[in-house]
Amino acid sequence: MIQLDNIHRTYILNKDSVVEAVKGVNLIIENGDYIIITGRSGSGKTTLLNLTAGLTRPTSGRVILDGVDLWTLSDRQQSRLRSQKLGFIFQFPSLLPTLNVLENVVLPVIFNDKSDRMAAFERANELLKLVGLESKKDSYPRQLSAGQQQRVVISRALMNQPEILLADEPTSDLDERTEHEIVELISKIHCEKGITIVMVTHTTKLASYGTKAIEMVEGMIKNSSV
Amino acid sequence: MNLTRLALRNIAGNSFRSWVVILCAMLVAGLALATTLVIRGAENSLNLAINRLGADIIVVPEGSETKVEGALLMSTPANVWMPDSVVAKIANVPGVGVVSPQLYLSSMENSPCCSVSNMFLVAYDPTTDFTVEPWLKQKIGSGLNLGESVGGTYVFVPEGEQAIKLYGYYLTLKANIEPTGTGLDQSLFMTFDTASDMARISKTMAVESLIIPENSISAALVRVSPGVNIHDVAVEIFREVPGVLPIESLNMFQAYRQQMNGLLRSNLIILTITWALSVLLIGLVFSMAANERRRELGVLRAMGATRVFVLRSLLMEAGILAVGGGGIGLILTGLVILLFRNLIVQSLGLPFLLPSIPSLITQAAGGLGLAILSVTLAALIPAYRISHTEPAVAMRE
Repeated sequence: MIQLDNIHRTYILNKDSVVEAVKGVNLIIENGDYIIITGRSGSGKTTLLNLTAGLTRPTSGRVILDGVDLWTLSDRQQSRLRSQKLGFIFQFPSLLPTLNVLENVVLPVIFNDKSDRMAAFERANELLKLVGLESKKDSYPRQLSAGQQQRVVISRALMNQPEILLADEPTSDLDERTEHEIVELISKIHCEKGITIVMVTHTTKLASYGTKAIEMVEGMIKNSSV
Repeated sequence: MNLTRLALRNIAGNSFRSWVVILCAMLVAGLALATTLVIRGAENSLNLAINRLGADIIVVPEGSETKVEGALLMSTPANVWMPDSVVAKIANVPGVGVVSPQLYLSSMENSPCCSVSNMFLVAYDPTTDFTVEPWLKQKIGSGLNLGESVGGTYVFVPEGEQAIKLYGYYLTLKANIEPTGTGLDQSLFMTFDTASDMARISKTMAVESLIIPENSISAALVRVSPGVNIHDVAVEIFREVPGVLPIESLNMFQAYRQQMNGLLRSNLIILTITWALSVLLIGLVFSMAANERRRELGVLRAMGATRVFVLRSLLMEAGILAVGGGGIGLILTGLVILLFRNLIVQSLGLPFLLPSIPSLITQAAGGLGLAILSVTLAALIPAYRISHTEPAVAMRE
């Protein structure tokens, strides 16, 4: 479970420009939830996701993951927690261009000291099978379409068997058909593996996939529906 | 997949940065090795030449010290003479143990006997000599007889011949002395009797006669009595014997030492400038590369990489490039010095002796160390900065 407790995040761009990206958000993400966060550009949804994952430090407030305040932990402890409990899907191409598909999927294993490295490649192959890209394991990211790259990213995100999958606009660069396929895949992972999912999207039509929908407006949660 | 493999893949994937860093590391390591090798080589050579002379003081005609030093160090012809009566005068100076006169002669240009164009001929008096004879007795069990000689390391008997022909005179080569990197390597040692015989024969047998002025010597080597201060004896010789200049062996080759210091200074300036520019360039290139990879590094942090991992990963890339570039620089420098040693010696006007293998390894390790330190230092600031950036900030455009 993740609990966001009166979270604020302010960016000081320069002396005269201060942006309050998230203002006093309270949110509880239960195990097994599938939360869709929607909102217009600049509404603070990506910042909220980054705060949830400990990728940015809140200006004030607490982020509690499984009873532990994330920002009381050292960098090493935080990193370990991220590698063991969280999986990420980003909106931008996030595969390492110098590694092939299989190596990209296996990559998170080197940050997880609990992982069985011997079995990692076997698991990576299974995950590539799950996303239908088993035949592309030796290809490099530049040889894949945007949709295929995003599937590889999903496999990578599942590599360390995370409890929570955080997806930041995973379909923003994709055509409608591929978008549908990716969202279906994420839903399938939620149903079959019971992984908690928090997905940020600017498309309100995707809200129906989640078990909870949150709308962000000017850094605050405006609507929350189950 | 591990840190090293990740670093190697990133090196291969960023060829511009990799080549710039390799080139800088090559320059730094190569220049560092070249500087230490040439300077230490010249220094070793000077010290060895002084040791080989075996004298505490060398007395030369006043005003001819540069010529004599040039002959001993660089084998340049020295036509210097002083009356042989100075030997008795020097011997009478209190504190003088042994005095032995020497004649410095030179061969004709492009003598067919030698691998070098000019050969330095040294004639000594076997009855008083304390430098060549003891070595010969230890090496071949006896001194030199009439018509016999001992050569420096580059002196050889021409192929198909039995002896070295000089001024129409046949000289048997009895032995070669170990290399010193100085003019002694292309010198031929013989007794006074052999030199006189050669001068006599040359009048009828050679195109150009060997002329030895009567009752003249080129230098007198002095060994002081045990327990006597060398400097005091040198001062006394200068005072008692007119027309000569006593040079203490430790003060010999001052002109060359000054030249060497000048070379060292200019090399150090070049090295410092190259080093500073390389560090700046590597820092800039690493900053650019780290900036280009901000998102990628942010993604790694999101996946669970610690700040230390990111820092180590970037520094490992820097280290691998430094070792690769530095290694290539050292090999190339070593090859250039080895292959063009004679050309370098001629152009610098300094003697040179390759150092021993352990010394060479130490100097190469120093060069490599400097390259690794430079690259790591240059990469440290951008690597530290990017590793300490919040992952969310790093991933933002």
